[in-house]
Amino acid sequence: MKTMHSHEISTPQNAPFKKILIANRGEIAIRVTRACRELGIGTVAVFSDADRESLHVFLADEAYHIGPSPSKESYLNYKKIIEVAKAAGVDAIHPGYGFLSENPIFVRACKEAGITFIGPTPENMESMGDKLSAKALMKKAGVPLVPGSDGGVETVEEALAVVKKIGLPIIIKATAGGGGKGMRVVRNESEIESAFRACRSEGQNYFANPTVYIERFINDPKHIEIQVFGDTHGNVVHLFERECSVQRRHQKIIEESPSVSVPMEVKLKMGEAAVRAAKSIGYVGAGTIEFIFDNQTKEFFFMEMNTRLQVEHPITELVIGVDLVKEQIFVAKGQPLSFKQENIKQKGHAIEARICAEDPTTYKPHPGQIRACRHPQGPFLRIDSYAYPGYEVPIYYDPMIAKVITWGDTREEAIDRMQRALAEFVLTGIKTNIVLHRTILGHEKFLDGSYTTQFIEKNFEVLEPQMFREVNDKVFLIAAAITAFEDRKSKDVRRFNVRSNWRSLSRKIALRT
Amino acid sequence: MYFEAELQGRKYKVDVHEERHSWKVSLQLEGQDWKHYDVSKTDFQHAEEYVSFLFEGKSYLIDVLGQDTEYTVFARNSFRTIKIFNDEMLLHESLKKGGGAGSNVELKAGMPGKIIEIFAKEGEVVKAGKPLLIMEAMKMENEMRASSDVKIKQICVKQGDSVENGAVLIKFEKPS
Repeated sequence: MKTMHSHEISTPQNAPFKKILIANRGEIAIRVTRACRELGIGTVAVFSDADRESLHVFLADEAYHIGPSPSKESYLNYKKIIEVAKAAGVDAIHPGYGFLSENPIFVRACKEAGITFIGPTPENMESMGDKLSAKALMKKAGVPLVPGSDGGVETVEEALAVVKKIGLPIIIKATAGGGGKGMRVVRNESEIESAFRACRSEGQNYFANPTVYIERFINDPKHIEIQVFGDTHGNVVHLFERECSVQRRHQKIIEESPSVSVPMEVKLKMGEAAVRAAKSIGYVGAGTIEFIFDNQTKEFFFMEMNTRLQVEHPITELVIGVDLVKEQIFVAKGQPLSFKQENIKQKGHAIEARICAEDPTTYKPHPGQIRACRHPQGPFLRIDSYAYPGYEVPIYYDPMIAKVITWGDTREEAIDRMQRALAEFVLTGIKTNIVLHRTILGHEKFLDGSYTTQFIEKNFEVLEPQMFREVNDKVFLIAAAITAFEDRKSKDVRRFNVRSNWRSLSRKIALRT
Repeated sequence: MYFEAELQGRKYKVDVHEERHSWKVSLQLEGQDWKHYDVSKTDFQHAEEYVSFLFEGKSYLIDVLGQDTEYTVFARNSFRTIKIFNDEMLLHESLKKGGGAGSNVELKAGMPGKIIEIFAKEGEVVKAGKPLLIMEAMKMENEMRASSDVKIKQICVKQGDSVENGAVLIKFEKPS
């Protein structure tokens, strides 16, 4: 269905760029490296002190040290990165996600250095960077916002007038509020007055500001986002939705596309609204419009725009059949989009599970040394991971170490395939959230698609005891007992944490293939 | 070889014997009967990174991490930490200490991380619930608090230090 820019095999001669520096680390740096390789583009990795042994360093053509382990002194040090880019003779920089990816100062510095930034314009980033001004822009562009009062509400009469306009339930929030203080959900008209007064006095008492505002309260909120893509010729296309409602600590951990909750006519409307939003700011490159979706009324409201590639971009790639990173590179080169809106169709179903080095019951990060690591394999499966045996997950960065992405003809098949893949994943030495994923994937609310952004919170008491159910305690006990016996009988070096450097090295080499 | 073990707060008596072709392992959960397991050595095979354990009709890839008195066993992406002692007394001592900062004589790092801020001062007597320090690991800050009234004997780290899992952060003594 696509018309690729070139039907020729990619070679360095016809590549859009000669060499790209990837200003990132971990799995996303590897993702971008792969796109470059396929296009015949040279790759330059950068790394901090903690990342000398990170897989993205091993997989790139060149790699340069950029500073100490804390992000501020390395991956966020844009001056150093541009200095390295110039010295390595790159003609473009890909920022990945996070770090410098939405920093207009960095984009301008790239331009000054004569290096192409692969991503939106600094003006795009600035328009969407501030949530309040972004909402004002979107209102002008006719993109729906959560209905509510325009600014502060001073009197009970005003509050009642707002409710008359937007209906119940509502949430009253103190403008200066936070941490659950100065906030009331109102479901009955008789409660409005007392809730309004309570919020104002809490605002005054806790934050020295009695101003409150009113918004529609969404009972069953879902996080639905639309992938958009613009080019420098004024084209903007949407690539349909991703549902990202499975979240812990307000961060996504499972995403799927399509969403079972969004009827076709609604998703088309969401796509049109997203295109309108992107067009209104002359958007260039890959971006995502996040909506809060009311699963009862099927209404959607603009939340924010992410002006970068997203962690969960692979599920769109699998369902639409477009390589988003390559498309970013072509667009940065000034080429028109390789696809038109009418050619974009969703085929089948894709799910992504974010594998994090963390305790699955407390979500506390659990960095440390990986011992055994065997990634799942098999049909219709994609693994974007930077884990390998012996790798020490550093304490300085995000705990996500791998993404498992499955595709299926139907949603059921994609879920079964994910369960199968996760069961195959062997990762020991550190705690991971794989058991949490498997438990969620088996939960009825996930299976019937009715889950909301509060799914994990609300169902945790049911989820937690199921997580460790698959293995009986006596398996753990017998294994520990035999090991303790062996350790005491003969001090077997192998099971201590001493590792031969030669063995680690040979593993790393084996992993590159 | 006789052990006392503890898993998720449950206490077990464990007996292990090595025979020529098998392991004889007996487990007794406190208050219940002994159960005996005969594990053929071919069913508990060391492979390069892990142990292939065939047990009661199921195949597990197992990795056992640790030494001496504490082992973490990984199987099918589940994991359990087991305390195991040759001597009954030792286990009881260890369990007595297990109440978090305060009832312990030491506050230890539960994970590798970086010390962001230290509130406690040496010689100070602190009440239960008072924050002692903030440790950061992977973009998350964790506040560590005293779980009972204690006197700070020694602070073993300083702001900005990177610490390993299990490192001693603060030593306590009973408030006089």
